[in-house]
Amino acid sequence: MAITKINVDHIARIEGHGNVHLVIKDGKLESVEMNVVEAVRFFEAMVAGRSFRESSYVCSRVCGICSPTHVVTDLQAIERIFDVEVSERTKLLRQLLIYGSYLQNHASHLFVFAVPDFIGQPSVFPLADIDPALFEQALGLKRLGNDLCTVVGGRSIHPITAVVGGFTSEPARDEYLRLADAMEAQIPFAEAVVDLFNSFAVTEFETRGDLLATVEPGGYPVQSSNTLRFLQAGEEFDSNDRDEHIQEYKVEHSGAYFSKVKSSGRNYMTSALTRINASWDNLSKRAKIAAAKAGLRPPELNPMRNNVAQAVELVDALERCIGYCRELAATYEPGASLPVPYEVKAGRAIGVTEAPRGVAFHGMELDDEGRIVRASIMTPTCQNLANIEDDIRVLASKLLAEGVSEDFIRLEVEKLIRAYDPCLSCSVH
Amino acid sequence: MEEKKNPRVVVFGLASCFGCQLQITNQEDHLMEVVGQLDIVHWQMTSSVPCPEEYDVAVIEGAVVNEEAAELVRDIRSKAAVVIAIGACATTAGIPGMAAADHVGKQAIQYPDGVPEASGVPIPPRAVSDVVDVDYEVRCCPIDFWEFVDVLEAALLGSNRRPFTRTMCGDCKRNETSCFYNKGQICLGLVTTAGCHARCVNLGRPCNGCRGLSPDASLEGARLAVERYGLSVADFDKALEMFNQTNPMYQEYIAAHREG
Repeated sequence: MAITKINVDHIARIEGHGNVHLVIKDGKLESVEMNVVEAVRFFEAMVAGRSFRESSYVCSRVCGICSPTHVVTDLQAIERIFDVEVSERTKLLRQLLIYGSYLQNHASHLFVFAVPDFIGQPSVFPLADIDPALFEQALGLKRLGNDLCTVVGGRSIHPITAVVGGFTSEPARDEYLRLADAMEAQIPFAEAVVDLFNSFAVTEFETRGDLLATVEPGGYPVQSSNTLRFLQAGEEFDSNDRDEHIQEYKVEHSGAYFSKVKSSGRNYMTSALTRINASWDNLSKRAKIAAAKAGLRPPELNPMRNNVAQAVELVDALERCIGYCRELAATYEPGASLPVPYEVKAGRAIGVTEAPRGVAFHGMELDDEGRIVRASIMTPTCQNLANIEDDIRVLASKLLAEGVSEDFIRLEVEKLIRAYDPCLSCSVH
Repeated sequence: MEEKKNPRVVVFGLASCFGCQLQITNQEDHLMEVVGQLDIVHWQMTSSVPCPEEYDVAVIEGAVVNEEAAELVRDIRSKAAVVIAIGACATTAGIPGMAAADHVGKQAIQYPDGVPEASGVPIPPRAVSDVVDVDYEVRCCPIDFWEFVDVLEAALLGSNRRPFTRTMCGDCKRNETSCFYNKGQICLGLVTTAGCHARCVNLGRPCNGCRGLSPDASLEGARLAVERYGLSVADFDKALEMFNQTNPMYQEYIAAHREG
């Protein structure tokens, strides 16, 4: 009986610390463990007893890269408890903040984390010598995302200005026009990025998991809908009912909780790819053309294609944000996005947004003075971990049957994990 | 002429949001200028090259929240000539530091059945500088890239510039921004170390104290000011927890008032 182990310790080029262990017995896959070795920071316990005013500030620190989404998700939970209706302008600014993080996250993930796999390099830095033009353009796209978050939020990581009810400060009118022009200029490159990632060969296989995304009639929601759908089961629910539809569970080999669909016990994926599967029809015009050209249409169940999905979302984000920026400039009025008045009251709500990596939930229960009684945060990566493990099972079994080398399997498994763009540090919070 | 060797640098991330490392990679315009002058031999977030046994400079982000991290930090210290702690987590225990109070109780809230083995052996969170000697610090949550470059420059080339010790309050006077206390809001600029040019205040938000308490601060004086403005002293004390929970200066202050 021959037992082989394939181990990747310290999976590189992802956010956070993780290992993966495969055990192969007589050429057959015996077990897979996705080991999340992040230390716990106890966010949910830490915010208990604190004021709602501090909540988004603290919870933003769950994750640097998706901090804008953590802030918005947190504010939404609190505003739902207080019945706050924010202004249209605040909604647009929040859209920009989220999309800024998409541009930043997707460009970082695609170029800093994923591309080295496909050009046979350990990191992105050699790309500066191999293809300086591509390197510069990729940095340009990432810069634009940071720029967008900085202009709207005051800083690209841990935005300052977004608070309950609105924004404490707004950029000057011309800043919106400058951003719109800069984004217009980036669209052709973003389209080329779709083609580039589509040209990288990936192993063909399909996830067995369900797919989760927020949905909205006629829309491609990133922070505007509280309705979610498990696409395969056709199960739709409100974010406040999350705990009736999603089951979190503990495993000893991961600091992060794993998740599954409560009704079926099935693992599931949430990501750019699931958003595209859910709302393909409502992609922006040029994004839809780019997706169609890349052959990315629902149902697309190969998780490795999440890279292409993220690239399509770059085009989509740019096209939408140009519109938002022009609108914000045209309707510019000092003070229009300042926080609206609200009344503090007790209650319970679960905020939901589409973080760059998938659905993020912040559940909040407040007492009548606005102090947090209980918080429950679910990041996209927590929800994806069980699915990643299952996908590794499918992928590795297929490759073993094809008789490829261990090194090839190891690299493909790493590529699969990176395709999910996992943020292990924020999955353990 | 003998070729000049670039310093060998390693970058480690402990318990944190990774935001400070991202602040470095987010400086697209200048990243290569800085990285190009270093020999980055290990940076898990950006490269699959494993950590070598020898290096000159270690940059550490994050708080020490388990036995394994404390061991790693001691190992890094024994190998690196220079240790630079970056960000609030590494320099003040930061937001994770809040969990130091009633640490066991907090574990039970979040993991009623016990913390998973994969997370290591939890210990009350500490700043890197509470575990080993740190040569340089870059404060703030998240760090400012240019401040990081200044510190890096000081570490590699030397500098006679000393870190800021004064409180942030003076910055608002210089910036001519109005004071939150006049609007009935608590602001921690009163007792927090200066150096960020009052970034949050300039954008209409009170200071949350992410640079940590200034050694020059008078917590007792600040408490009187809070009272004078008719604000809640309990809220002020609570707000201080965010970035100072493990600071002896804060603990002494809280202990004094608990007894009184």
